Amino acid sequence: MTVAFVFLAGMTLVSALGVVLSRSVVHSALFMSGSFLGISGYFVMLNAPALAAFQVLIYVGAVTVVILFGIMFTQKPQVRRYRTIINRQFWAGLLVAVGIGAFLAYVLSAEDWGGTEAGNGPREVGAFGRDLLGVSQGAEIFTLLYEVASVLLLVAVVAAIVVSRRKIGGGVDRGVRE
Amino acid sequence: MPQIPMQAQQFLDALVSAPPLEGYLVVGAILFAIGTWGALIRRNAVVIFMCVELMINGVNLTLVAFADYLPNAGGLGVSYAVLVIAIAAAEIAVGLAIVLAVFRSRRTVNVDEVTAMRG
Repeated sequence: MTVAFVFLAGMTLVSALGVVLSRSVVHSALFMSGSFLGISGYFVMLNAPALAAFQVLIYVGAVTVVILFGIMFTQKPQVRRYRTIINRQFWAGLLVAVGIGAFLAYVLSAEDWGGTEAGNGPREVGAFGRDLLGVSQGAEIFTLLYEVASVLLLVAVVAAIVVSRRKIGGGVDRGVRE
Repeated sequence: MPQIPMQAQQFLDALVSAPPLEGYLVVGAILFAIGTWGALIRRNAVVIFMCVELMINGVNLTLVAFADYLPNAGGLGVSYAVLVIAIAAAEIAVGLAIVLAVFRSRRTVNVDEVTAMRG
């Protein structure tokens, strides 16, 4: 378990640094999917295999593809030096990020969490599904949250169509004539 | 069967035992911090979205770790993580639509060149 933990930590964090520091935007997107894969491995270790499957399907599959589409539509060829892709707050941003990370890590590890022991997660997919639908004891709020999330997804899809729709005569895409 | 020395046995036990809760929490915190750094320093709006996704994943990892390790959590953190994933998917759809609209009207996605609302 510890071997898997260290391996997944290295994969996740190195890929995350790759997202921030790679010169090519496409490489950033691929590093991002690697980081998401590491997180899904953690979900398997944490007794949530169904959530790991969701993570692979939604993040590694759908979100990465949507972001790659966004890159395809919006990138101009430009000089990929660090001065052009990173703004002037490199060191200030590093300071802020290290501060946030150190603060969170300190607080989370200094806190006494009481009797912690692995293995309380809903390993059975049936129990997980009953939690998610608000059927099981103590999870009644999820009935409401599930419905609200579905309405939110519908609204988001409609909003994405409305916002990104091309108006007639309102600008052209690169290389495409009306 | 050869006798395994005591230290080697302890080392092997440590290798196969479950890591502590704090390990997952620290990895989530570091992932959140890296995402923050990227969102602060990059110019490209699409990369900023990727960094926000990294931050969301750090928080998801923390939620699922708590759901697995705390006995009174009842495993509900996993369900909350599903809701977080759904909301993040909605966010990425609307956000990329906005980026596309900005690119159509201004021919750039660099956030420091879109200065119409600068005071």
